[in-house]
Amino acid sequence: MSVLEVQDIEVFYGDAQALFGVSLTVEQGEIVTIVGSNGAGKTTTLRAIAGIRPLAKGEVAFEGTSLKGVPAGERPGMGIALVPEGRELWPQMTVEENLELGAFSPRARKDRVATLRYVYTLFPRLAERRRQLAGTMSGGEQQMCAIGRALMSKPRLLMFDEPSLGLAPILVQQVFANVQRLRDEGLTILLVEQNLKKALETADRGYVIETGAIAQYGPASELLADESIRAAYLGI
Amino acid sequence: MDQFLSLVVSAVLLAGLYAAMAFGLGLIYGVLRIVNLAHGGVIMAGAYTTWVLFTRFGMDPYLSIPIVVPLAFLFGVGLYKGLVRFLPRGAAGGVQSLLLLFGVWLVMQNVAYLLFSGNDQAIRTSYSTRGLSLLGVIVPLNRLVVFVIGLLTLAVLHVLLTRTYVGKAIRAVAQNPDSCTLVGIDVERIYTLTFAIGTALAGLAGLLLSTLFAFNPGAGAVELLKSFVIVVLGGLGSVVGIALGAFVLATVEVFSILVLPSFLTAAVGFVLLVLVLVFRPGGLFGQKVLS
Ligand SMILES: Nc1ncnc2c1ncn2[C@@H]1O[C@H](COP(=O)(O)OP(=O)(O)OP(=O)(O)O)[C@@H](O)[C@H]1O
Ligand SMILES: [Mg+2]
Repeated sequence: MSVLEVQDIEVFYGDAQALFGVSLTVEQGEIVTIVGSNGAGKTTTLRAIAGIRPLAKGEVAFEGTSLKGVPAGERPGMGIALVPEGRELWPQMTVEENLELGAFSPRARKDRVATLRYVYTLFPRLAERRRQLAGTMSGGEQQMCAIGRALMSKPRLLMFDEPSLGLAPILVQQVFANVQRLRDEGLTILLVEQNLKKALETADRGYVIETGAIAQYGPASELLADESIRAAYLGI
Repeated sequence: MDQFLSLVVSAVLLAGLYAAMAFGLGLIYGVLRIVNLAHGGVIMAGAYTTWVLFTRFGMDPYLSIPIVVPLAFLFGVGLYKGLVRFLPRGAAGGVQSLLLLFGVWLVMQNVAYLLFSGNDQAIRTSYSTRGLSLLGVIVPLNRLVVFVIGLLTLAVLHVLLTRTYVGKAIRAVAQNPDSCTLVGIDVERIYTLTFAIGTALAGLAGLLLSTLFAFNPGAGAVELLKSFVIVVLGGLGSVVGIALGAFVLATVEVFSILVLPSFLTAAVGFVLLVLVLVFRPGGLFGQKVLS
């Protein structure tokens, strides 16, 4: 049974269609990446999985259960978490308050003290900054906080939307190292990136999305070696 | 000196009431981005409910808080679920929500005219005229009780917003509703709850006012405008900001009697509002949303 199974989904923004039948699967313990250029539909795919954008067609199943009719607000409680594009923290609340609210769902809330301790050992920097307002931290620290907040919901599937966006190269390294580390801790990961090279180096498998449809997929190493992809996305 | 002290005491006491009165308006605006024009109507309804309980059932106005406040809360839930929920939010929805909630206020006013006529009513208890000596100043007992209740209300709100999960969720929704859905906060539920709390506070303000002043179905208009001044002065929904805004307005009003005829007292606040909007449009204490 796959952790995530996305079947032929279509999503619209008003009259404009953004996804034209996207299908993908993520297996237990995998890092799967979705790569593609600006406006290809990566964020829309993650939003559809998180339940924030309604499906016009198709289906999403999590651990074998269809998510049809499950509102977005209940999905974190089931074990699905999203680290959104642009972090989307609550800027005028402290780091610790941001993290605490990550454990809002009843399932996560009862373990919040232990999970908070775990997040602080994972990111000691967040422990140092626990009383600081999230909006006043650097981009890299905010990204850590956003990841920490997602972890607080005790997810089994963790989705990242362009976590390296706007970060200095050394911090980009760190973000990808963290993604790998979280997988080693037992999480299943769906990673959206524009940084195609780094993403494919980190992932086990990849999907290339173009104008709302999957153009290519396969083991990450094969995609990385593919001539057409190298020409189109890496300019090699 | 004596007069100065007594004016300071009056200002502080008035500020407690003003803060409780303005907080609901600020909270609803901070979270839903809607100016609740029905605020004045709920204040009026709170006063009449208290009066009915007093005249019909002989209930002490302060002891009827556990009835009036939950009733106002339920009214807020109904108003949100029945009407406000369907309104567009923020700048785009400004005109619609203003019109709709103004309409609600007018309906409430007219119902009150029907039920209670336009005559002034007042609540006179056995202790209405009693006074207490405070710092050598004789203070009406009612004013002191109202002040204490106002202060307690602010303290409860502060604890709610900063210490409880649901209060933190309310602040989070004010700052970024989209990411609330991502952690499993039911944003619509928070909107309902916030609107209901804001309405309950207006009901409480009406109850408190009814113990101090006479009122009629037109009551609430001046209070709404004053609440608005306080919210602009003090920023959106931080408990401390609202308290400071209330204190500034109360002080300016109270001290204006030294130089202005008393019928102009109410106008003082609006002069202050215009000055702030012109010179410090972000409010006196900065523009933080429920931080
Ligand atoms: N809120 C919106 N309203 C209307 N159209 C939208 C909205 N969000 C995205 N779109 C459109 O949907 C398509 C897919 O957008 P999406 O944000 O999913 O792309 P993306 O792959 O995440 O791009 P990026 O790499 O820039 O983040 C684009 O054509 C975009 O213009
Ligand atoms: Mg995107």
